[in-house]
Amino acid sequence: MNIKSLDPRVTRANIDENAQDGVLNPLDHFQTYEVFEQKKRGTHHIHVGSVHAPSPELAMIFAKEQYTRRGQCVNLWVVKTQDVFVTEYTDADIFETTASKKYREPDAYKVIDRINAYKERTKTKSTI
Amino acid sequence: MEFTDKHVMGLKDLLYRMADDLLILGHRNSEWTGLGPILEEDIAFSSMAQDKIGQSLALFEILHELGESEPDTVAFTRNDNQFHSCQLVEYPIGEYDFSLVRHFFFDHADALRFEMLTDTVVEPLQMVARKFKGEIKYHTMHADIWLKQLGSSSEEAKLRMQHAINEVFPLALGIFEPSDYEAELIESGIFAGEAELQSRWLDKITHLLTSYGYTIPVLSDTVSAYGGRKGKHTPFLQPLLDEMTEVFRIDPAAEW
Amino acid sequence: MYGNAYVENNGQQHNSLTANEDPIQLAAFEARIAAGDKIEPHDWMPTEYRKQLVRMIEQHAHSEIIGALPEGTWITRAPGFRRKLALMAKVQDEVGHGQLLYSAAETLGKSREDMTNDLISGKSKYSNVFNYPALTWADSAVIAWLIDAGAIVNQLANSKGSYGPYCRALDRICAEESFHLKYGHDNVVFLATGTATQRAMVQDALNRWWEPIMHFFGPSDKMSVHTETLMRWKVKMATNDDMRQTFLDMYVPKIWDLGLTLPDTELKKNPETNKWEFTEPNWEVFKQVINGNGPCNKERLAVRRMAEEKGRWVRRALLSEKAEYVAPLA
Repeated sequence: MNIKSLDPRVTRANIDENAQDGVLNPLDHFQTYEVFEQKKRGTHHIHVGSVHAPSPELAMIFAKEQYTRRGQCVNLWVVKTQDVFVTEYTDADIFETTASKKYREPDAYKVIDRINAYKERTKTKSTI
Repeated sequence: MEFTDKHVMGLKDLLYRMADDLLILGHRNSEWTGLGPILEEDIAFSSMAQDKIGQSLALFEILHELGESEPDTVAFTRNDNQFHSCQLVEYPIGEYDFSLVRHFFFDHADALRFEMLTDTVVEPLQMVARKFKGEIKYHTMHADIWLKQLGSSSEEAKLRMQHAINEVFPLALGIFEPSDYEAELIESGIFAGEAELQSRWLDKITHLLTSYGYTIPVLSDTVSAYGGRKGKHTPFLQPLLDEMTEVFRIDPAAEW
Repeated sequence: MYGNAYVENNGQQHNSLTANEDPIQLAAFEARIAAGDKIEPHDWMPTEYRKQLVRMIEQHAHSEIIGALPEGTWITRAPGFRRKLALMAKVQDEVGHGQLLYSAAETLGKSREDMTNDLISGKSKYSNVFNYPALTWADSAVIAWLIDAGAIVNQLANSKGSYGPYCRALDRICAEESFHLKYGHDNVVFLATGTATQRAMVQDALNRWWEPIMHFFGPSDKMSVHTETLMRWKVKMATNDDMRQTFLDMYVPKIWDLGLTLPDTELKKNPETNKWEFTEPNWEVFKQVINGNGPCNKERLAVRRMAEEKGRWVRRALLSEKAEYVAPLA
């Protein structure tokens, strides 16, 4: 028997209440693309999520509405998830030593005391 | 130039055609919300339906400034014979092939019409045409990508799409049913006319569909589905209106 | 829109939940969560953590997709431009939330196709509340206001949970739900302050929806070692009773403000305990509905099955032979 629904759209669809079809196979909803949006010119693109899509063109069409239907955006990138190469969280320790490498940081170079001391020294000499 | 009564009537007729088309097609397309072929497409198609209703509202607001009733009253209290929409937009959503092809044909016509209106002498209409340019561009991009990709896909899909093109083409020609005021609209600089629009549209869709591998029915063998612009509709419109206005009619004077 | 996960609890003891886990990995995992750090997709995690999260996020996603249907009932009949646009945008958002949540669940290793199959076959659950019919326009207003309000209470709590992808999805979902809540409230206020007919419509809808709303957060949790473990792992963030109390605290006064009544004469806030007291809703009915015997269960699933079936030729046509499934990154 077809469903008579409170929703006129559903009634119009003539759905057999006891139909058993509709089982999905792997990849029925396609592969995924990662989505990066740029909110305004001059800023970085930022990862905002993913979409299922059959092609990059449709991934872009889908991402535009799923991720930018509110708020500002000037540019989108979509990238096939399988093409993104990622580090493992178990390898996060490779980032850890960075903080101790002071010689890479500007504040490792403080010479003002040395300059002042030098000035002080030379001033004394000249007054002799 | 000074507008005569006929110019104003022509302008109102043009606005009603556009507003009614957008309202009815936006309404139809909203029927897919929550039931689309894949979640991502469901969202995209719903946005475009919302855009159409929004564009329709903007046009009804111009009509209101020209002395017509409030947008809600105009949209939710008329009967089918008072609607100026073409018959194309009132057909049920059918399968996704039908909905996509209708979207492709209609939105290209809509895009070209708004493009022509970006330099109309009617300032509020010019502003609306400029405001919605980006929205409509996305609609045609969406339609083009779908038609293109399905055009080079499975045999089943190609057949379905070609069949839908053959079915929708005569209905789409109904978009360009001439009004009684074509001469006035053209001479006053309000709108360059339906014949001009149809010719630009045919060029555009012929080029696109051919490049996607479809064939287009021969124009001279096709009977355009006219009548809608003059209030003659298929049996699909009145039930649509009854449904759309069911709650509003409980008390049209109430604030909902 | 989502109430609370129907967490499976087979009376398992804590030991059996983690018995087969590497104690060193487990300690590091628990320390990370205790420190307020997030767990990310490829991190080591206890099997039970993964299983419960998949179940929970999947149920949440299904609730969004099925939740689009009761309100969708009124999508073609919304009165006036303002309501028509807002309802379309709201139902669209629910579909969008489903999309985000399925992606979050996919990062844990279950494909969207598998989740959809489990929904359609009735194997997975979704929020019970969507198995009730939206009889009138006012029902759609009550759903948009109060069901979304309940969902926000749950989702705000869960957005502080431990699994990164779920938290990120919930942050965005909560932001969008605040539009739903405002829209729903606006809609109810217009009906409640409108004509006698409008007021009667909304009172009637409220009467019918009250029990499903009280059911929304689920029965009182049995405080077991299992529940405690899930709370320590920040999978479950608040007890069902606490969330129900928060909801009542925030919304009952607003309902009464409009001069509307609720169909429970026992409902009142006890000034001494500072807790709401109410007639215990019928949990037998709740169980019946979960098990597929609610007024709309059959239709809801049949509609989803139809939507998948109608879209099949479109999807099949576009599927490239070279396509290869990889779970979304984050």
